[in-house]
Amino acid sequence: MKNIKIYIGLITFMSVFSACKKDFLEREPQSIVVEDQVYGDPKLIEGVLANLYNRIPTDASLTNRWPEHTAYDDAVWSGSGNAGDEYRNNIISYPVDRWSLWDYGFIRDVNLGIEGVQKSTKLTTQQKDQFSAEFRFLRAYDYFEMVKRMGGVPLVTSPLVYDYSGDATSLQLPRSKEVDVYDFIASELDAIASTVGNNGSTSRANKYTVLALKCRAMLYAGSLAKYNNLMASPITLPGGEVGIPAQRAPDFYNKALDAAKQVIAGPYSLYKTNSSNLGENFYEALTKKTGNPELILIQDFLQSKGFKHGFSYDNIARSLREDNLASSAIAPTLNLVEKYEYLDGTDGTLKTRTPDNSDYIYYTNTQDVFANKDARLYGTVIYPGTSFRNLPVNIQAGVALWNGSSYQIIEGDLGARYTDGKLLTGLDGPQRSALDLSNTGFYLRKFIDNTPLASTRTRGTDIAWIRFRLGEIYLNAAEAAFELGQTASALTYINTLRERAGFGANSLNTLTIDRLRNERRVELAFEDHRVWDLARWRIADKVWNGSTSSPDAMLYALYPYRVVRPGDAARNDKYIFIKQVAPRFKAPRFYQIGNYYSSISQNVLNNNPKIIRNPFH
Amino acid sequence: MKNISYIILFSLVALFSCKKDNYEAPASRLSGRVIFQNQPVGVRSDGVQLELWQRGFSLFTKIPVFVAQDGTFSATLFDGDYKLVRLRGNGPWIDNTDSISVKVSGNTQVDVPVVPHFNLNNVSFNKSGTTITATFTVQQVTAASGLERVNLYLGTTMIVDNTRQDASAEKVAADIVIGQPGTISVTVPAALASRSFMFARVAVKTNGVGEALFSAPHRIEFK
Repeated sequence: MKNIKIYIGLITFMSVFSACKKDFLEREPQSIVVEDQVYGDPKLIEGVLANLYNRIPTDASLTNRWPEHTAYDDAVWSGSGNAGDEYRNNIISYPVDRWSLWDYGFIRDVNLGIEGVQKSTKLTTQQKDQFSAEFRFLRAYDYFEMVKRMGGVPLVTSPLVYDYSGDATSLQLPRSKEVDVYDFIASELDAIASTVGNNGSTSRANKYTVLALKCRAMLYAGSLAKYNNLMASPITLPGGEVGIPAQRAPDFYNKALDAAKQVIAGPYSLYKTNSSNLGENFYEALTKKTGNPELILIQDFLQSKGFKHGFSYDNIARSLREDNLASSAIAPTLNLVEKYEYLDGTDGTLKTRTPDNSDYIYYTNTQDVFANKDARLYGTVIYPGTSFRNLPVNIQAGVALWNGSSYQIIEGDLGARYTDGKLLTGLDGPQRSALDLSNTGFYLRKFIDNTPLASTRTRGTDIAWIRFRLGEIYLNAAEAAFELGQTASALTYINTLRERAGFGANSLNTLTIDRLRNERRVELAFEDHRVWDLARWRIADKVWNGSTSSPDAMLYALYPYRVVRPGDAARNDKYIFIKQVAPRFKAPRFYQIGNYYSSISQNVLNNNPKIIRNPFH
Repeated sequence: MKNISYIILFSLVALFSCKKDNYEAPASRLSGRVIFQNQPVGVRSDGVQLELWQRGFSLFTKIPVFVAQDGTFSATLFDGDYKLVRLRGNGPWIDNTDSISVKVSGNTQVDVPVVPHFNLNNVSFNKSGTTITATFTVQQVTAASGLERVNLYLGTTMIVDNTRQDASAEKVAADIVIGQPGTISVTVPAALASRSFMFARVAVKTNGVGEALFSAPHRIEFK
């Protein structure tokens, strides 16, 4: 007992003396990385950059906001109904804050990064320039994402620091003019193009990525300058926070065209490896990451390191799924499918009825109705009679039984047989109200991984999200050239893209703005362009006018039926197609003029009295 | 015995100390009409909103009050002083950012005067065969506003507007003489021709304004 007391006393005595060092309160922290360490080590700066690249805002992508692909007119939500996602089929009108973005957390992180890099004592001048350029690229990208949603926003180019004086007015910056934000983006990108480095990288910005962003931003600015002022009553604010003067349009279009020409002259080329199957070729152009010369900037994933996502799990065609529960959430619409032209250049409307509308057209195979279509249709959409991962899909809604004077439609369970022993309803539907099953008769192919087990939750997929690719640059160049009156060169760009899709050389020799817009829709479907394109052309409120009788605001489905008509060999066992409004789709798309510029949150307005509201809300 | 008394004590505490919600729900009802020349202004259902603001609390955010298609609105509130604001660029009337002070104390009525861009007068409907014709006079109220178009909407329910309709017809500004009676016709869709009645409304739309001004829904008997 006595000994124990001595021991305790001894240990206490020893520990007091041994643990204590003179600089006890000034040790290097073991659990956090401090600023000087980050900005003294290129590897750690790359970590900061990786975080920012991953945070570039999108409206719809492959990861957290992927269901938004079904909020417009290219797809209907066909996934589960109880997870709060079904509302996308029933958006009465888009809320004015739907696209609202006030991303100053990102801007501040970038500004801190630039400051940190510049102050660093361990980096070479070249490293400093290169990292600063990359940070500025990200800042310009984020400002572009904000200005296209909000109009002019405050331009903050250095970290704002509060001095705890009780007066925050020095931090309250007013909104810049919309046109000034676009000019800022252009001048920033011009300034960094030569120092950004990263040659050949698709996951970090290089010179051509910078030009690609500039090309897109200038095209948006040009079309806003032109089309906003063509509205009966242009949307403007007196201070220019919203509204670009019309006379700036040629300047912006010229800048877009110049940037596009430089990217096209760069090391990229359209993906044309699989020349035997142009549809598969287009699919590969969007999903292959190695040996793909078309990619400019992607959000990359790597399955082997656990950086993966579940986009294939959620959207694989029903009968091909490898996991339980989800599948088929994004079901492309007939609206989109019919926008793909026939290879002879005629309008893409599917021929389901005879020209005098007296009878259906009877097809021997379900895929025959899609014969001679733009190859990009195959590369984007899984339609009846095609296959994925070398496995055929089985899309048939039911049978159409001839009762002597008309057809009676009979539908059944998935894979069910009709009384004649042949198929009633395919394993892939479509069905009118089933969950996790296509509601439109189509499935998504673009961005779905065809690697075995990629559609399971455990393995996941590492298909990359494409932020910029050469195909878009061709379209940007064509649009800018067309708007500048250079129709001949616009045709060259468009025809190059169309040639890859299976159209002959020089398939178009006249061009209209509608045709050009349609080309953009079919090439860039599901790549987060549709809603922004309609907005900058100022036609979103006309296309999505909220009317149940509008063919564009309502979303349509195509249901294939097998004909049961014994005794009529020309028709029996053939297939007919019925076009109808997608049964799960309830409310027409309704984009109001108040949606062109999103509302600024009340928090922001309360904190900064210099911020003025956007029009209409 | 001692245990039981503890149990009783705890149960009493458990039963009485805690209420799920210690605020009374708001009970006062503010209601009113959006009026022009003392007549309610017809709008699209669920489309036009007014804003209520109340200062003096840390949470400063608007209470949106949607205007029903007949121009009425209502909100259930706590008693207090509010500012009623006509949200800019929202309704089919010219912007007026002057707020209206509203003292809510029990059930309160307030009318919100507005000046529309255009108004519709002398609206009448008649049916001949499967065609429904509306007669109307567009009145220019605000000289600076540009007329865009007039629409006729047919619907099966009383809620009829540009988003909830079964048939519509349109007349662009070039075909309309302001101040003179005009007509617009629409054919009843074949699928609805066997109904016994439908509702019709006429709307006048101004350039650069999202919402249109509507006439009151009119029930048209088919049989």
